[in-house]
Amino acid sequence: MSKIAGSPMISVSQLVKYHGESRVLNGIDLEVHRGEVAVIIGPSGGGKSTFLRCLNGLESFQAGQVSIDGLRLDLSLPESTRQARLAQIRRRVGMVFQQFHLFPHKSVLENVTEAPIAVLKRPRAEVEAEARGLLERVGLADKLSARPRQLSGGQQQRVAIARALAMHPEVILFDEPTSALDPRMTAEVLEVISSLASGGQTMIVVTHAMGFARQLAHTVHVFGQGQVIESGPPAQVFENARNHITRAFLAQAQAA
Amino acid sequence: MSRWFAFRAWVAWVLISTGLNCVAWSATAATADDSLGRVRRAQVLRYGSDAEGGGPYAYPDPANPGRTTGFEVELMGLICGSLGPVPVLYQGQWDALLPTLAAGHVDVVINGYELTDARMARYAASRPYYVYQLQVMGLRQGAIRSFDDLRQRRPDGKPWVVSVLGGSAAESFIRDQGLDSIDLVTFNGATDCMMAVSNGQSDATLQDLPAARFYQPHYPALGLLGPPVGKGYYVLYLRSDDLLLRDALNGQISRLIADGELRALYEKYGIWTEAQAELAELATAATSGAMVQESRRGLDLLKQHGWTLGLAAAMTVFLACASMPLAMLLGLGIALGRLYGPGPLRWLLTALVELIRGTPLMLQLFVLFFLLPRLGLQLPALVAGVLGLALNYSAYESEIYRAGLQAVPVGQMEAALALGMTRSQALRRIIVPQAVRIVIPPVTNDFIALFKDTSVCSVISIVELTKRYSILANSTGGVVEFAAATAVLYLLMSVPLSWLVRRCEAHLATDGGKVAAS
Repeated sequence: MSKIAGSPMISVSQLVKYHGESRVLNGIDLEVHRGEVAVIIGPSGGGKSTFLRCLNGLESFQAGQVSIDGLRLDLSLPESTRQARLAQIRRRVGMVFQQFHLFPHKSVLENVTEAPIAVLKRPRAEVEAEARGLLERVGLADKLSARPRQLSGGQQQRVAIARALAMHPEVILFDEPTSALDPRMTAEVLEVISSLASGGQTMIVVTHAMGFARQLAHTVHVFGQGQVIESGPPAQVFENARNHITRAFLAQAQAA
Repeated sequence: MSRWFAFRAWVAWVLISTGLNCVAWSATAATADDSLGRVRRAQVLRYGSDAEGGGPYAYPDPANPGRTTGFEVELMGLICGSLGPVPVLYQGQWDALLPTLAAGHVDVVINGYELTDARMARYAASRPYYVYQLQVMGLRQGAIRSFDDLRQRRPDGKPWVVSVLGGSAAESFIRDQGLDSIDLVTFNGATDCMMAVSNGQSDATLQDLPAARFYQPHYPALGLLGPPVGKGYYVLYLRSDDLLLRDALNGQISRLIADGELRALYEKYGIWTEAQAELAELATAATSGAMVQESRRGLDLLKQHGWTLGLAAAMTVFLACASMPLAMLLGLGIALGRLYGPGPLRWLLTALVELIRGTPLMLQLFVLFFLLPRLGLQLPALVAGVLGLALNYSAYESEIYRAGLQAVPVGQMEAALALGMTRSQALRRIIVPQAVRIVIPPVTNDFIALFKDTSVCSVISIVELTKRYSILANSTGGVVEFAAATAVLYLLMSVPLSWLVRRCEAHLATDGGKVAAS
């Protein structure tokens, strides 16, 4: 697919993040356009997850700036403004975690309706009807009243995706969504993500599933040592990597 | 197999020989029907007393606080002086001294114990060593001028609040009067009563004359109002079969009366009264069996007094049930403040928890009830009790909640924040409901413990189950009966609670969301 035109929906420049003494992100520049599926790959410890978590404020950063849908986050913001802006950003940015993080004390349906009711103050009946639709879309229409611990890992992750969708996010951040799943469950989750992608959902996906990355991505970004060491369409990155770290990483990933 | 038989034979031998030893031991205990011989051989006479009851009976010597002094301590010295043994003071809880005597820990009890029929039915009493009277103490400038003023209600129509030492002669004296003009409040110490009058929490206190005279200088606002009332006799109590020892002690008391040493001692303590003249003629009255009434035992006793025990149990339930929800709420607040609050608040709450956990509940209740009035805040006993228990337990609950909150995985907070919830929304809707489930077992455990800790409220004049037990056990002597009944009542509270919580836990485990959804 060709690159989507227009100004980027997400734009990150010169992002620097420290964990204690170590520099986890070392000046990241990255753009994602509306409708684009950006996939981030790279060796463990390259800062992929940390980067995602900086986008919605689960982590703070020490230099650079992040702009999402025109909402800018940088170090110049006073704390109160930062909190207000984070609230705006988080309503537009959904997140799906490696470990699902469903709310164990709530039913599947309640997990999905919780945020629209609590955060957006939408009427319960309307939210519930919509949530049923979302759960049907991820293939869990028969599990509405189940508790998360009664579900398989793949089912839980699909609930988590429905939970993110219920907020109508402009973009969804997937943080290694299938790393905790066995191959069969991985397939059912990837299928859901693929169908979202083909529906035009903007997303950034951190993953180790290379085949999926290649098939799904509009753009692949390779992270290494806190930097974007290579970006481009999947064909280019996977067939014709220019960077030797990328080539080494891909060779290792294929061997594994 | 032969080893097995050898072992069995050995066990049988051990059992039989210990059994025989027991029989032999109890036989000697029974035949040497008196402790006199043992006291003479050991050259030690152990006497039970409680220095908490204070002066002038037995109290820490101001000149040498490690020692106990008092007219009773000196009296024991005089009695033993020519008898031979060394008197050794056994410090006990005042209202538990007679059971201590019965259990054989001491040979004699002397601590302002009045001669009563109920006690004489179970213990041997010496001849009286002091004729006590009761003295009204109240504000010098107050409306009360003597005990007779207490026979009519206050000018505003309400009854007078009169504090007395629980289980004392003053308490039974007032009860026997059957006055509806007096609202009786009991404390564990003579000075607690005087403090309550000084604070304005009570209108007056009725005290044994020696205590009133001894402590009046410490409470300058209080005066000894009117002539003493009532009359009774302090005696030594011994185990009922220790008649030889009793007679030996009686001989010494008679000698002290006859040669004027007793009078000199009482004059030294400022407690000699004209009434003491009677002592010389009392020898036979107190030692004859004529005064002993048949006292009730067993079920009869329980039937007679059971309802007061039931009322006291209701008080215990009230105290626990009123304070626990408060403690849980406060505890949750403290835990949230310590985990998520700003720096200074965390520091303050940590210090508060340490202060509350590090000091005894009794002391906290004391401060709330006796010291706050001096700062102008007068709390009724029940309010102080519930507040004190709630405050005390909130410190423990907060630690439980803190552990519970920390046990909720970090990812839960992150997921909630990522969905756009504010921190407080995330806490309220996601974190706290999960923490509550985690802490149910330890909190229940504390709730059960709280039921028993309510007994400490007796120090601020609340009569709950344990206090009622000791009052009944002391006044009737039915230690075993009331102990059993009290234990059953406590179990009736804790067992259903454990059951209820098990059900609640099971319910939450399967269907928690309905409870948490708001």
